[in-house]
Formats: sequence, C-alpha cells, structure tokens
Amino acid sequence: MSARKLIVALGACALLAIVAGCGGSAPMGAADAAGQRDKGPVKIGALHPVSGSNAVDGLQMRRGAQLAVDAINAAGGIKSLGGRKVELVTGDTQGKADIGQSEAQRLISAGAVGLVGTYQSAVSTNVAVVAERNRVPFVMDVTATDTIFARGYRYVFRVQPGSKVIATAAAQYLKQVSEQSGKPVHKVAFLHEQSDFGSGAADAFDAAAQQLGIALGPNISYDAASVSDLTAQITQVKASGADVLAIAGYYRDSLLAAKAIASVKPDLSAVWGVSNGAYDQPKFVSDAGQLGDRYFNTNYHYDATNPQTTALREQYQRTFGDPMRTGAVLSYDAVQVIAQAVEKAGSTDPEKVRDAIAAGQVAPLTVGKGPIEFAGNGDNSNAAPVLMQVQGGQVKQVYPPEKAESRPEYQVTWRP
Amino acid sequence: MNNLDTAQAVVDPDTAPPARRFPVDRSFLGRAGVVAVVLVVAVVVALLRSGSGLVVWQSVVTGILTGGLYGLIAMGLTLIFGVLDIVNFAHGALLAVAMFISFGLVDTTGMHPYLTLLIATPALFLVGAIVYRGLLSGSGARSLENQLLITLGLSLLLENGLLMFFGAEPKSIKLPGEFQFSLFGAVVAGSRLYAFLGAIALGGVLFWLLRRTRLGTAIRAVAANGTGAQLVGINVRRIHMVTFAIGTACAGAAAALAGPLVTVSPTLGEQFNITAFVVVVLGGMGNVVGALVGGLLIGLVEQLTTIYLGGQSSLLGVFVVFVLVLFLRPQGLFGRKTA
Repeated sequence: MSARKLIVALGACALLAIVAGCGGSAPMGAADAAGQRDKGPVKIGALHPVSGSNAVDGLQMRRGAQLAVDAINAAGGIKSLGGRKVELVTGDTQGKADIGQSEAQRLISAGAVGLVGTYQSAVSTNVAVVAERNRVPFVMDVTATDTIFARGYRYVFRVQPGSKVIATAAAQYLKQVSEQSGKPVHKVAFLHEQSDFGSGAADAFDAAAQQLGIALGPNISYDAASVSDLTAQITQVKASGADVLAIAGYYRDSLLAAKAIASVKPDLSAVWGVSNGAYDQPKFVSDAGQLGDRYFNTNYHYDATNPQTTALREQYQRTFGDPMRTGAVLSYDAVQVIAQAVEKAGSTDPEKVRDAIAAGQVAPLTVGKGPIEFAGNGDNSNAAPVLMQVQGGQVKQVYPPEKAESRPEYQVTWRP
Repeated sequence: MNNLDTAQAVVDPDTAPPARRFPVDRSFLGRAGVVAVVLVVAVVVALLRSGSGLVVWQSVVTGILTGGLYGLIAMGLTLIFGVLDIVNFAHGALLAVAMFISFGLVDTTGMHPYLTLLIATPALFLVGAIVYRGLLSGSGARSLENQLLITLGLSLLLENGLLMFFGAEPKSIKLPGEFQFSLFGAVVAGSRLYAFLGAIALGGVLFWLLRRTRLGTAIRAVAANGTGAQLVGINVRRIHMVTFAIGTACAGAAAALAGPLVTVSPTLGEQFNITAFVVVVLGGMGNVVGALVGGLLIGLVEQLTTIYLGGQSSLLGVFVVFVLVLFLRPQGLFGRKTA
C-alpha cells in the first residue's frame, strides 16, 4: 500500500469516527443542570430509538410519553409546584448503546428531573450507568434483561415485567390452562433464539416448569440474525413427542417458526410463546393468516380490560393514525411514575424525586397485579404478564381470568 | 483468481494438463469424491447423534433447498468478483432493494410474486449498470480499500434509504396457492422448491451465457486477460459494466424467487451477506457453478451443525468449513491455483 493510499484510508476512518461521534454533545456542568431544573417547565427526558431498525417502536414510545405529558398538562400541570407545566425533552438512541449514553448525559445536563426509556436492554444498561453517576432517576419502560438489577443501583427503576417474571408466569399459566381444558401438559419442547433474551427465557421457563413437574425437551436454539428455515428444528420437536412447543424469539424468526410448524404439523396441543416478539402483534395475525390462529403468548401487554387504556389507545389512533402498541403504553406509565413523584415530592431535585418514586404507587395502564410500586432493587413488584391468544384473527387476553377478554382455546388448528 | 469457468477458462501454462477433447480433470473428480465422503460421514454421524432418521432426512432436504437459495444469491457475487475483482459488499443491500421492488409490486398491483421476476431482474440490471458507471468505474475503485469503502458505503446508503421510505416494519410477500408435499417423510414447501429450481435454472442460464454466447466469451476473455481482450478489440469497460449489471440482476432474480420465503426488511441483506461470501470462497471465487454447489454444501453444513451442536449458532459450522477451506484449499473447491 502506498503512503498516499494509507493516508486516504486513515482519513476516511477519522471522518467516519467524527460522524459517528456527532450524536452526543459535550455535557454541561452540574450547576447548569440544577439551574435548568428550577425554572420553566419540569423536564422529563425520553430516550428511544427513533431512527434505525427499531424506529417504528421507538417512535411509538416517544409518542406514548408525549401523550402522558399532554395529559398531565391538560389536568393543570404539577400542582404542588404551583401548576408548573411538564415538558418532554427527547433523545434518539438510534438503538446504539454509546449514543444512548451520550444522549442521556445531554438530557440530564438540559435539566431533566428523570429519564424514561429505552426499548433495548443493551442501551438501558448504559443509560443506567449515566443515571446512577448523575443521581437522576431512570425509569425503564421496556427493558427485558434482569441483569441490570444485579448492580445494586439506587436510581434505576423498571415498569415492565422482567424476562424471568414472564417466563415463570408462562410455565404456570401453561400448567393451569392445560389442566382446565382437560389436556394436562406432559412434555414441553423449547425453541428459542440463542442470545441473552431467548436463552434467558428458556432457562427461567425450564426452572419453573421443573418445579411444576412438567417434562422438558428438547431445548433447541437458533441464530435469529441468520436463520432462514426452521423446518428441521420443528421436525426434531415432532420426533420428540412433546405436546407443547414453547417459543421465545423475535418477530422475523418467530414468523419463520410458524411457517415451519404449518408445514411439519407436529402433534402439539399448543404453541406457547414466551415473551415472544411476534405472537401478540396484530401484524403477525395479518402476516401469518390462518397459520397463526390459536397461538398463545405470555408477555407484557396494555390492559385491554381497563377503560382508561382503551380511551388512551383510541386517542393515539386518532392522533397518529396507527394502533398504539404496548411499548408506548409502558412509556406512558413510566412518565406517570416520574410526574407523580415530582408532584408528591413538591420538588425538582432529582434526589427527592428518586425517593418519591421508590415510595410511591402509580395506577398503570398496562397489565399488573396492582399499582406500580418498586421493590428494593427498583423492579416493579406488581408487574405481571398476561396470556394472549390469536383467536379468529384477533389477539385476545385470555388468562388470568380477571384480565381475560375471552376464554383460552387450548388446541391447535391442524389437530382435532 | 479469475477462474470463471471450471473446465478451461484460465489455464496456467506451467501447470496446465495437455489439451484433450473432453478435459476431465482428475484432481477435480478426486476433490468431489472427498467432499462426497465427508458428507456421507457427516450424515452418518448426524444419524447417530440424533437417533432419528426423519430428523436427519428433513435436515438434509432443508439444507439442500436452503442451499439452493444461498447459491442463487452467491452467483451474482461470484461473477462480479471473477471478472471485475470487486468484492461487492453492497450485494445484500441490492438484494434488499430488489425485494422491496418485488414487495411493492405485489402489494400495490396484486401481481403474482414470481411475475415480479420480470421487473425486478431488469430493474436491478439497470441499477447495477448505474452503480458501476457512477461509483465503481473510476480509477478510485481499483484499490481494495477503496472498493471496500465504496461498496460498504453504498450498502449503508441503500439500507438507510429503504428504512426512510418503507420504515423498519417487517413485511411479508404472500404466495397465492402455496403448497407443500412430503418427500419420503420430509416436508418440502412449494416456495422453497421453486426457489431451488429457480437457482438451478439461473445457474444454467448463466453457464450458457458465459459459454455459448459472444458476450459470454468476451466476459471470459476480459476475466482471463484484460489487456489481451483489449488488444483484440473488446471494449473492456463496457464488459465490466455489463458484468456488474448481470451480477446485480442475479440479486434481483434471487430476490423475486426468495421473496415469499423471507420476511422483507431493509436490513435483510445482512442476513445473507456473510453466508454468500463463504459460499463464494468455498465454490472458488468467480466460479458460477461452484457458487451453486458451494451454496448447497453450506446449506447442508448449516442444517447438520444444528443437529450436532443442539442448535447453537449454525454459522459456527459454516465458519469451521470456511476456515478449513481457506487453510487447505484457498482457491476454493472448484477453483484452480493461481500463479
């Protein structure tokens, strides 16, 4: 390589590095941030991936957070602060951990009393570090991984049920629903994508199923990024004689699995999604059509039995011309958590807001066992997943009974 | 490196066998034999490992069908590499573009997915020609690092352009009258069979084009010796552009055939790019038939790895093969040694 070429290549690399680094701006001093918080509207920071491959969900969530802020302002703002308005300051994580981190720093410097976000576990892990260092509360709306709570953070909270809670509930619901329908489950095969998300769900499900006396096997993993056919894996499930197939995957691969199941037709009583990224999406219903009918999924969900949630979703649909997804409802809840804490603390001091969050209770619009309240580690102790099923082209909540819109139909379409 | 054609395209005068009427390459047969033996052993081991004949049989069938798809995608890539010496990192992104063309047509006009082949292929031919003329034909693209930056940049541009216009929401192309049948117990989906047959047909067309047409002869001449080709009056720049366009058109055809099997998203290219590169290396860079066979082998390796390792990343097995090939036979299974 000639010296000139080397210089050109290095120059190009430097240029790329500069472009990549443009996302964040230099943090201002802490004194500035405190000054920013005391005047003007109370600022709540929202960090979501609004560009990049998760932009659809990121935008949904930012709008959900905005609707919460609008609702608070319409009701007269923060009353304990003399009716100060609330303002949503937003950052785009682009789905990247480092950009999430610099955006979090920027929003805190701009005077945010708390942050909500971020949709992706890896990004949340980085934002949590920034929140902790700056002593500003960070309320996670969507973040599945449980490992964040192992660090003993003081300023980090989570609204959604974590991956272990969902997988454990999935096993319990399976046992209960199968027994109620007179076809008690005897052996579960688990198909999951191989990263932290899928294998974490499989491990937690296995642990819970073992305690319930359910036989397990085989446990099959695949690479969600590169898989292009799951027929062989589903044949393995068929050969194993399992009567339930549990699946933890993202959208694309879970749809592939549904296609493979429709081809192989294994002798199953149920297809059981575990925090599955496809089987409770209206999009799955239209993409899979008949193939997806009667699929179950245990996941976090907006509370379809709560009239307030219904009203919010209708408002969203009217405003943005798009059905409101669960992620956006969780963002709405997360903003409420911070706003109500500011109201209770009567202060924009992040330390006091943090204490008010830790001690507070907020009625959620997503499914829960009760009000949002946080355990010592910051996780929502009343977060609860719900069992959903595709029935006649619609996703319905079917279990537990107090949250059910319809009765579970424990059978598959291709077997009597 | 420019071994466009197994039988006789590039012959190194020092090592070339004496010319025969039907050149049967002994060492080639030997290699094919070794590959066959390895495959048989692999299947037997899989049988012992899984204990179920049906599971292994299904894996073999799925491997071959998926492998056809990989071969289909790799064919265009290998053609471009063989003739132009360009490692086209934008191939996957161009495939995604074609898939969105196909999706757009099916979605708006209700056209049959396979009919979009007739539009996606020429459209991509055109895109390929434009990309070559606009970005790659300049002298800047001669060095490897510039090619890398240009094609990687192009793939980023295309991916993000698709994201901007179509959004990240995954989309499906529905195949009307999708069917399936059982082949000795293994399930074969109609759409996969069509993609597989399409791959073989396309491989045949490319082979015919390269061996039996004036254009093909010119392409092979340029691949073998650019200066020589120029001396006998071949417009090398034009041939380069046409070859790049044909290679890209292959991605267009692959997209229309594979559309009903995959979920269409702007980042779809990433899913196939790595596999396609491995296939190209395995089959011998620049060898179109090698790409098809390499695709089948990689499809099988992927599926059998799933049985051996209980479904850890199937790419693991693919990369083991990749490293072995680079180590033992860097010119690929069907390539010839370059001087």
